[in-house]
Amino acid sequence: MRRVAVTGIGVVSPLGCGAQEVYRNALAGRSGIRRLDAPFADRLVAPLAASAAFDGAAHFEPPQLRMLDRFSQMALFAANQALAASRNDLSTVDRSRAGVFVGTGMGGTLSMDDGYQTLYREGSDRIKPFTVLLGMHSAAAAWIGIEHDLRGANLTYSTACSSSAVAIGEAWLRVGSGELDFAIAGGAEAPLSCGSLKAWEALHTLASIDVQDPSASCKPFSKNRSGMVLGEGAAMLVLESWDDALARGAPVHGEVIGYGLSNDAGHITRPSVQGQTAAMRAALRAAAIDASAVDAINAHGTGTQANDSTETAAIKAVFGARAHHIPISATKAMHGHLLGAAGALECVLSLLAMQHAVALPTLHLVVPDAECDLDYVPNTARQEVAARTMLSNSFAFGGTNAVLVLRAA
Amino acid sequence: MTPTFERLCAILRRDYKLAPESLTLDAPLEGLGIDSLGTVELLWNVEDEFNIKLPPEPVQLPTLGDVVHYIDGLIATRDTALVEPAIAVVPTLQVP
Repeated sequence: MRRVAVTGIGVVSPLGCGAQEVYRNALAGRSGIRRLDAPFADRLVAPLAASAAFDGAAHFEPPQLRMLDRFSQMALFAANQALAASRNDLSTVDRSRAGVFVGTGMGGTLSMDDGYQTLYREGSDRIKPFTVLLGMHSAAAAWIGIEHDLRGANLTYSTACSSSAVAIGEAWLRVGSGELDFAIAGGAEAPLSCGSLKAWEALHTLASIDVQDPSASCKPFSKNRSGMVLGEGAAMLVLESWDDALARGAPVHGEVIGYGLSNDAGHITRPSVQGQTAAMRAALRAAAIDASAVDAINAHGTGTQANDSTETAAIKAVFGARAHHIPISATKAMHGHLLGAAGALECVLSLLAMQHAVALPTLHLVVPDAECDLDYVPNTARQEVAARTMLSNSFAFGGTNAVLVLRAA
Repeated sequence: MTPTFERLCAILRRDYKLAPESLTLDAPLEGLGIDSLGTVELLWNVEDEFNIKLPPEPVQLPTLGDVVHYIDGLIATRDTALVEPAIAVVPTLQVP
């Protein structure tokens, strides 16, 4: 395998737009979770969301905008931003060896929701002619490929909450193996429709509102955690072979050095210690490092009852007694759960944290769950954490566990 | 400029941000950046604007003039269809 450098980062998220703004807000422990401001908010038991301050109309001309669901708008914006940051004008890239890898859980669900309203609520048969193109999961990857003339593999992964970790991992495999020289990889999600929020609510996985402070409603690893908060956004990385990146003097934000997958093969929602453990071990094997080389972890850390205790047990299984000495950040307390984009955003935050020698905080952790007894960097970022190697965990309904191993530049 | 062409131009200026001077009857749609997919969307808006129903058959409309002609044809069909039931109804109103 060739070394694979991350040369560009693009992000639009509840924590802001662009790597620096997102990092500053994460470092300061600002939550992007708010009371949901939407016409249907009163139909939700707990109207909470982590929205991104993003207006597609400010970035795309009307004819193109009408063909882009919000998830594609954010994906394309983040990809453009990542490419600009990489300072790669693509003039020397063989386009047939340049790919796009995008993860999304719900694709163009806002457009589908819109179409259903027309059909079923309004009783009209006049569905927008682009509904299929807006709604298809592969739209975001397709538009990135079109925009930048990237003619190699153009793939979309939908493995629920691990989708974009899978996308980055699969891109890493292809650039690392030499099949591709260049890839844009990440995830995008825009799930804040009435239909999707009601569907998540029906599963009883969403957090109840913290009445004192709605922005503190997601409390990973906490004794009083009550669930997750849905968020929206996109995060994209530019991946290039390390040698190519160095040869052209590219900015390097770090490298992907490993990627591990496992499948719980047990239950459609209930996480498994064994499955999560297997994914972390597979990632370490792929990176050819020992568990002792891992300095910090970005946890999946959803704030649900089931995930946080299971993940804690899995981390203990992989790291043994050393698990207690590894800083573990659950950044979803700040940016919410971006579903198919979560893994990519957390990968970005991990790279930025290592770049700045910081462990990002797990907010709203006052009294930990008795089963969650590791070092979760509670409430305040920790400075001077000389982490060189991090895991970024992404687990999912359906049981597809994906773990990325990242190394500082 | 016919009323149909005027209303079509209003859609093109509003939704496609096209310059008024580019909108002539012989202007090719492709040249205005409206490909076959864009034409599908344009005709969807045309249905609303002109209160007409497009037939399901695909149609070739290379220029704006062709679109105008097509719309005028559908308006005429619609108006004929509106008149026909009225004529059909008349006999039922006749008293013996």
